[in-house]
Amino acid sequence: MSTADGSANTDGIRLLTIRDLSVEIWRGDRIVRPVRGVSLALDRGETLGIVGETGSGKSMTGLAIMGMLPAGGRITAGSIDLDGRELVGLPAARYRAIRGNDVAMVFQDSMTALNPTKRIGEQVAEPVRLHRGASKREARARAEEMLALVGLPRPAERLDDFPHQLSGGMRQRVMIAMALVCEPRLVIADEPTTALDVTVQAEILDLLDDLRSRLGMSMILVTHDMGVIARHADRVGVMYAGRVAETGPTSELFARTRHRYTQALLSSIPSLTQDRREELFSIPGAPPDLTVVQAGCPFAPRCAAATDRCRAELPPPVTEAGGHVHSCWHPAEGPAARTRARLVVPAPAGSGPTASEPTGSGPTASGPAGSGSTASGPRLRVVDLRREHPAGGAGLFGGRRTVKAVSGVSFEVAAGETFGLVGESGCGKSSLGRMLVALDRPTSGEVIFDGEPVTRMSARALGPRRTELQMMFQDSNASLDPRMRIGAILREPLAIQGVGTRAQRTARARELLRDVGLPASVLERYPHELSGGQRQRVGLARALALDPKVLVADEPVSALDVSIRSQVLNLMRRVQLERGLSSVVISHDLAVVRYLADRVGVMYLGKLVETGTTDEVYGSAAHPYTAGLLAAIPEADPGAPRAPAAARVRGEPPSPVDPPSGCRFRTRCALATALCAQEEPPLTPVTGTHHVACHHPLGREESRS
Amino acid sequence: MTWYVLRRLAVSLLVLLGISAVVFLMLHLVSDSPGRVVLGQRASPEAVADFNREHGFDRPVVAQYVGYLGRLLQGDLGRSYKLNEDVGTLLARNAGRSAMVSLAGLVLALLIAVPLGILQAVRRNSVVDRVATAASYVLYATPSFLLGLLLIAVFSQTIPIFPAEASQSHSPWVVFTDPRAMALPVITLAVTSIAVFAQYQRSAALDQLGQDYIRVARAKGLPERLILTRHLLRNACLPLVMLVGTLVPTLLAGNLIVESLFNYPGLGLLFLNSLQREDYPVLLAYTLIGGVLTVAGNFVADVVVAAADRRIELSA
Ligand SMILES: Nc1ncnc2c1ncn2[C@@H]1O[C@H](COP(=O)(O)OP(=O)(O)OP(=O)(O)O)[C@@H](O)[C@H]1O
Ligand code: SF4
Ligand code: SF4
Ligand SMILES: [Mg+2]
Repeated sequence: MSTADGSANTDGIRLLTIRDLSVEIWRGDRIVRPVRGVSLALDRGETLGIVGETGSGKSMTGLAIMGMLPAGGRITAGSIDLDGRELVGLPAARYRAIRGNDVAMVFQDSMTALNPTKRIGEQVAEPVRLHRGASKREARARAEEMLALVGLPRPAERLDDFPHQLSGGMRQRVMIAMALVCEPRLVIADEPTTALDVTVQAEILDLLDDLRSRLGMSMILVTHDMGVIARHADRVGVMYAGRVAETGPTSELFARTRHRYTQALLSSIPSLTQDRREELFSIPGAPPDLTVVQAGCPFAPRCAAATDRCRAELPPPVTEAGGHVHSCWHPAEGPAARTRARLVVPAPAGSGPTASEPTGSGPTASGPAGSGSTASGPRLRVVDLRREHPAGGAGLFGGRRTVKAVSGVSFEVAAGETFGLVGESGCGKSSLGRMLVALDRPTSGEVIFDGEPVTRMSARALGPRRTELQMMFQDSNASLDPRMRIGAILREPLAIQGVGTRAQRTARARELLRDVGLPASVLERYPHELSGGQRQRVGLARALALDPKVLVADEPVSALDVSIRSQVLNLMRRVQLERGLSSVVISHDLAVVRYLADRVGVMYLGKLVETGTTDEVYGSAAHPYTAGLLAAIPEADPGAPRAPAAARVRGEPPSPVDPPSGCRFRTRCALATALCAQEEPPLTPVTGTHHVACHHPLGREESRS
Repeated sequence: MTWYVLRRLAVSLLVLLGISAVVFLMLHLVSDSPGRVVLGQRASPEAVADFNREHGFDRPVVAQYVGYLGRLLQGDLGRSYKLNEDVGTLLARNAGRSAMVSLAGLVLALLIAVPLGILQAVRRNSVVDRVATAASYVLYATPSFLLGLLLIAVFSQTIPIFPAEASQSHSPWVVFTDPRAMALPVITLAVTSIAVFAQYQRSAALDQLGQDYIRVARAKGLPERLILTRHLLRNACLPLVMLVGTLVPTLLAGNLIVESLFNYPGLGLLFLNSLQREDYPVLLAYTLIGGVLTVAGNFVADVVVAAADRRIELSA
């Protein structure tokens, strides 16, 4: 036997063995085969990370173990052995006795995963009553104990809360308590932190690690994030198109990546150490359709090393030393090598040292814009911008409460420059972005575009200005009219502005598609006929249709998978450089902002806490929050030094309805002093371009750690 | 919660005030000379004018409305032109009976529709679901008088188990005291609502079944039966509670047809007869009560839902 489980369950340390598992889902006339001969193994006390892109079958594998395949789904072959017991074909009643007791599951979105009309205490206690036959009182006591264990403050008082009364991170803790309350031997966590902010994600993953060792459980961690795997898994299974491409111990797999897909995947992740002058590696094409069974290696159509053999014959699993198994005819040697093309970078104005260093090919192709900036001042200037949204419900004494979404933000963007805004969800990034392109009016403050205050213009005066300020949205699926063909979508802004004849507009649309790397045939298609990456390209093309001077991109790649994400990021970077656009890139993903932006602003609770060139902010963060964010990001490299726990940001952001006095970050800051509670720190220069709003900014050594 | 209830209550009262003003004005436009109606076509114009003056019907409409409101606040709904009885007494006597029948029909409909809708959702696209859905559409498209006539033809004439006429007793408790005589009206009322309720319940339950917390319940090892009763039922019924609240006026309209079909002396029949007799005070009061019921229905539904689903309070 040369499968993953080659080492039989002799020594009793093996907890779970999945052998050649295949799953079929009948959907009317189609059969989806999301899992195709998966073999994985997990030892006691270990974490197995399952990683892969959307639709690769990660969740289905987890659900198959739980015996909870969706309607129409069944296991067609293979076995799942849990501690010597075969789970495939187990009668429903016996399976129920295992579920929630021996095997438990933590789901992704704790908002929908908790019953909204049941108190959390009851929900956590339910499995104890079910499996242990505990009395109501005993179960409640156990729930309280469990909630304390997952770090819910004052659990006794919170037992009777409803889920909506808790923050996202707290709900996810409740979810975990619910899964672990019967001390299962195996817990399957399916994207347990994908819906959470980085700082909260780090806390939750650490909590899971800690509980796993304390309760002596094993864990399957399903994720699309290689960084999470590198930091938290002992063993990895990389899935592609329903198959395990490669599996082995984490350090081994990262150090000697064998499968071509794993290599490509690792190479496409924008890292915090990525050289920004280099194009990101990207895998061409998109994952295959799982309704068809093709011969050969499923990755062959996208693989640079594919040969005729790959297209004809399915590569069998090959076991190497240390239980490293891969299924590739032409395995790679050594760690993921990043073969990247160099970008031709015209030095954008006002950018940091990186961009001003001469690149290999030099500034021969100097950008068309980049130039006009120095003479005529900044293209976009934001002055003390504020936006308050009415908060639900009036205060008890009639005073209207407001969510302070943006509270006094000022910055400038030069022509041809890209300004990145990072921050956690709810910090006001998107509110700010909408005001920049005049989709929303500020409560006070100004946005000055080419010397004119757009925020004070009448709707009529604004009309023609709008063409120069464009926005690209996170989810092009929601922002593209589903009943319009792509051609019509791209022609629409031109038609509204009365540009050209119909034929000219069509020609322009075709040109735009070419610019964003889509074939002209896309003109005739509807948005739902495109993949996520293609739709995002159309969103970019539409934003570029009127040749804007400023492009605001709000979470441009957050909805995309890693391999598609790098394609779109490369495209955006190319467009920025070629067109000399001024852009503002908004994202919660620090690596994305780092890759795209020349200068960065870090937002916290409606305020900019740090601004500077990308290198300054990422290289020598001066604000404790920035340092904490950077420390929270798991790098896709198990050898990467872990930031000391002290550098982490604790807890969750306070409510923007009543922000803390003084420094808004003080409730989560390890360095907070009495001064921080009294006085709000102003944004003050550290160096010429680097500003920070903190009473006790970090020195260079501290932030590097 | 108290705050929320008070606010909703204030809004409800304002709405009622608006309804009363509009209805009063409309009736005034339709008939600005009650004397003519009361005294008949053959009365002399002088007598009519005297009557109008005596009862204040010659005053400006706003003054009349304010007077009407004042009396309304004292519980005086006016006097019927034709029945020589206080409208209040008249309505009270009939309202109880109508309410009991409506309620019986509603309860019967819910008892059947809620489990049926959930069953359909759980076994969606099965034979049961398809048959029930098809039946719902047919019932939905059937006017209630036709349904009533069919029921009479089958259960009163072909197989004479139930009488074709409802009980004529004045007690509001006839539903319980004389169930045989009330069976057909109640069934007619129930069947017309079952179609709507079941489909509504089905889609609400389907919504909830797709939610993650159902999967979580399954992952806990709960058997399907407990998943339904402990987790699904409550969440899946919230939309129906709202619907039932807003449906109160439709129930009254249903009464109109059912009551006249089975000759049941309730509010609906009273309304129809008053319409023929041009008995405007009765019509005015009936419409107002319809308004009160609708507003109260909405109010109660909101409060019940807010109590069951505590998230509402935050966003309202
Ligand atoms: N209920 C369902 N009915 C039919 N097909 C489904 C169903 N759920 C998932 N699939 C299909 O099964 C395949 C694998 O899905 P799965 O959810 O396991 O992917 P995943 O790796 O977890 O992806 P993601 O990262 O998006 O969570 C996909 O092609 C998906 O479209
Ligand atoms: S088997 Fe061939 S196509 Fe598949 S990953 Fe390996 S080299 Fe690429
Ligand atoms: S001002 Fe004080 S609380 Fe705020 S970030 Fe600096 S040290 Fe922390
Ligand atoms: Mg998944």
